[in-house]
Amino acid sequence: MKDWLGLHDFIYYRTRELFSWALEDTFLESSANDIAFFVYTLVTCLVTFGGIMLSMFMILWIERKFYARVNDRRGATTALRSLWVGENGVTAGEWWNMIPYGLGKPVGALNKWLNKVAGNSGHKQEMVNRVGNRSWYGVTIFPGFFQNIADGMKFLTKEHMVPSRADKVIFELAPFLVISSTVMILGMIPLSSGIYGANPELSVLFAFAIFGIAPLGVFFAGWSSNNKYTLLGGIRSAAQLTAYEIPLLLSILGVCVMAGSFNFLEIVHFQHSSGAWLFFLMPLGGVLFLVSMIAEVERIPFDMPEAEAELVEGWWTEYGGMRFGLLFAAEYMRVYAASILFAHFFMGGWHAPFAGTIGSIPYLGDAWLAIPGVIWTLLKAWFIFTIVFVWARTALPRIRTDQILEFGWRMLLPLAVLQVVLSIVYRLYFFDAGALSDTVAGGWSWDLTILEFTIPWGLPIVTTLFWLAVFVILMKDENIEENEERMYHIRTMTPAGTHTAGKE
Amino acid sequence: MAEMWITMGPQHPMTHGLWTLRVKVDGETVTDTEAELGYIHRGVEKICESREFVQITPYCDRLCYVSAMTWAHSYIMAAEDLLEAEVPERAEYIRLMAAEIQRLASHLMWLGAFGPDIGNLTLMTWCLRDREMFLDLLQELGGSRMHYNYPRVGGVKRDIPIGWANRMKAKVKLFENRIKEYEMLLDESTIWLVRLQGVGYATAEDQINAGVTGPNIRAAGVNTDVRWTNPYSVYDQVDWEPAVEKPTSIKGADCYDRYRVRMEEMRQSCRMLLDAIEKIPGGANTHYQPGDEMLITKAPTRAPEGATGFSTYECTRGVSNFYIQGGGDGRGKHPYRVSIRSPMFITIPYVAKTMIGYKVADIPAIMGSFDPCIGETDR
Repeated sequence: MKDWLGLHDFIYYRTRELFSWALEDTFLESSANDIAFFVYTLVTCLVTFGGIMLSMFMILWIERKFYARVNDRRGATTALRSLWVGENGVTAGEWWNMIPYGLGKPVGALNKWLNKVAGNSGHKQEMVNRVGNRSWYGVTIFPGFFQNIADGMKFLTKEHMVPSRADKVIFELAPFLVISSTVMILGMIPLSSGIYGANPELSVLFAFAIFGIAPLGVFFAGWSSNNKYTLLGGIRSAAQLTAYEIPLLLSILGVCVMAGSFNFLEIVHFQHSSGAWLFFLMPLGGVLFLVSMIAEVERIPFDMPEAEAELVEGWWTEYGGMRFGLLFAAEYMRVYAASILFAHFFMGGWHAPFAGTIGSIPYLGDAWLAIPGVIWTLLKAWFIFTIVFVWARTALPRIRTDQILEFGWRMLLPLAVLQVVLSIVYRLYFFDAGALSDTVAGGWSWDLTILEFTIPWGLPIVTTLFWLAVFVILMKDENIEENEERMYHIRTMTPAGTHTAGKE
Repeated sequence: MAEMWITMGPQHPMTHGLWTLRVKVDGETVTDTEAELGYIHRGVEKICESREFVQITPYCDRLCYVSAMTWAHSYIMAAEDLLEAEVPERAEYIRLMAAEIQRLASHLMWLGAFGPDIGNLTLMTWCLRDREMFLDLLQELGGSRMHYNYPRVGGVKRDIPIGWANRMKAKVKLFENRIKEYEMLLDESTIWLVRLQGVGYATAEDQINAGVTGPNIRAAGVNTDVRWTNPYSVYDQVDWEPAVEKPTSIKGADCYDRYRVRMEEMRQSCRMLLDAIEKIPGGANTHYQPGDEMLITKAPTRAPEGATGFSTYECTRGVSNFYIQGGGDGRGKHPYRVSIRSPMFITIPYVAKTMIGYKVADIPAIMGSFDPCIGETDR
């Protein structure tokens, strides 16, 4: 199914028309098509990169806001609730009173009512009151959204310093290695079927080959800075690389085996035309991909190369000014790329969920299908970023280097191999190639046939239920009451409540 | 890799203050350590020799900026011993509650700093927010946010305000539930357990030999809680238990044991507070004017010739001692000598040696689990 917002076709034909008209009867007439192709490539690349970079501001904004919400203890749901939670009815800066012509009055009335029925009262949430007693001035639509631009301007005005006795060439080269390789990944990743920078036949292989370059830059930076903290950070990064890169590539191999392709567009189209997101066919692979991706982009809990508690700031301690700013941006670019990759590999990319079911409803279905694919891609990527990356960062402590090595080699690697085997089995014995369909509704390729009984979509359902059961069994704790060695049981010399102090 | 020395400090995220830990590492493994202290030595003991007894209290507040009330109380006990002052029972109860609220605030500061040591920033914001509740309570007593100057020789500065008791009860009950939330965040997390369990072993024998006190040695199964073994103030009249952990390993207490002891100690402080507010003489909701005989007794300002005062006090980080000798200026208005025993001054060099053999990443975990405070260490 083609996305109606096909940037490539549009720009391709427009540039051809433009140049064949403009260069008519000139000496360049014979090469008008070549010039048009050059301009078309340039424009599509610029538009794609611009789109990705601008939408990346959303990542920074989401992280800041979601992090703050979780730290408010109330959890993720407070994003809405914070609109009305305030101090004794005076809430959230009263932004509705700033809207001209009194258009915000209904919001104010709704807010008053919500505060009455679901607001804070009494002594219970004093601290929420104190947190809520903040005001929004300035642009009230996305408070804090443009902070990153201000930060970038500040970085630009900072002085650039090279430590004395540092290896100057390598020190200057390393950030460019990290940043340029990171930007190149984004060139391979499509935003929708019609919006991408480049689309080689083996784009998945290419993207992950580039993904592996940045840790080399990290190692260079750590070694060349002539600083013991950066040295330790760089070497940790190199050790970590060997532990997570192999499970990551194996989990992607599972995806490619399932889809039968090494191309992003074909992998995404396969999920649509075969009728199920790959996450429901290989949940194990999805989890492995996410875990090793968190390690790849060096975020908590796997951010040992920049562990600020013991290594100050790890391998980028000595970088300042815009080099630090760009390294910081590169880290978020990698996170963003990881989120989009997960959306493409496991969540059906730019295809609307339930395109066939909802799309058959009159009017609503048309509206559902009219949403451009790039919107779905971004929504899925932001969702994954929020649920996985930010949540993990808020909830988990940092793991130790030797522990991630053990974790990578002894758990991730065997499970990744298992996933590859499972993918091959699925593709060979359960996949019905004849049912592939590229219509709006997609196909039905994953029916499960047991003893002449056919369960429609049986395979995704059975697989998901199986791994869900494994997950629940693993998460289920032992009986806290029975196990006295358990953490909740504090072992005092005289158990609390059995006698009164000072009475014996 | 060849061995090298890394100088962590004086400004380093691990230090929780201003000191230097020099670490010799072989790759990621620590092979030798060396602690250097004394960056913020202010000469409090010497300053005290030129101050009157009532003027010394603010300096003792500033010995430790996260636990001002307990240090001031520790000094006041020694001064009362020296000046032979009696304390009304209501004042003792108020002091007990103030000290326990301060203990809660101090332990919350410890947990909040311990979280980023392990890599969890959420813990810091949660703990600092809850600490605000207790700082507000102390602010109502002493008038300022960190350094209260609240105890007086022979009593307390002023009574608990009207409504303070209800606010305190509500906050303590709320906090008892929040301890459970902390445990859901931390104890349920496997990463938290693998980072703490089996790391930073310290046996009871070694700690006794080194002179370590407080929660750190109680984690190794030794009950040195002065409040329990030798109760001062009214600690024998309220309902509580000392938090003592029995380590599961023969190698002694690990970081996890020390973490558990402090969490349990916070619970016991809550229990103590809820009990003390019921038992306080004169009632929790009556307010006496400053200088009332329920709050303070008249104490002499001059120490007798040759008199000495001594106090043993369970501070938030261990046992603190004050030793005061009177008759400084020949008239008895100033002390001749004030000697302070700080628990962390003894603990930190010991901790530095326990790190040998662990990884570089364990340094913040071990150091954080011992709860260092450099203000009281350097004095």
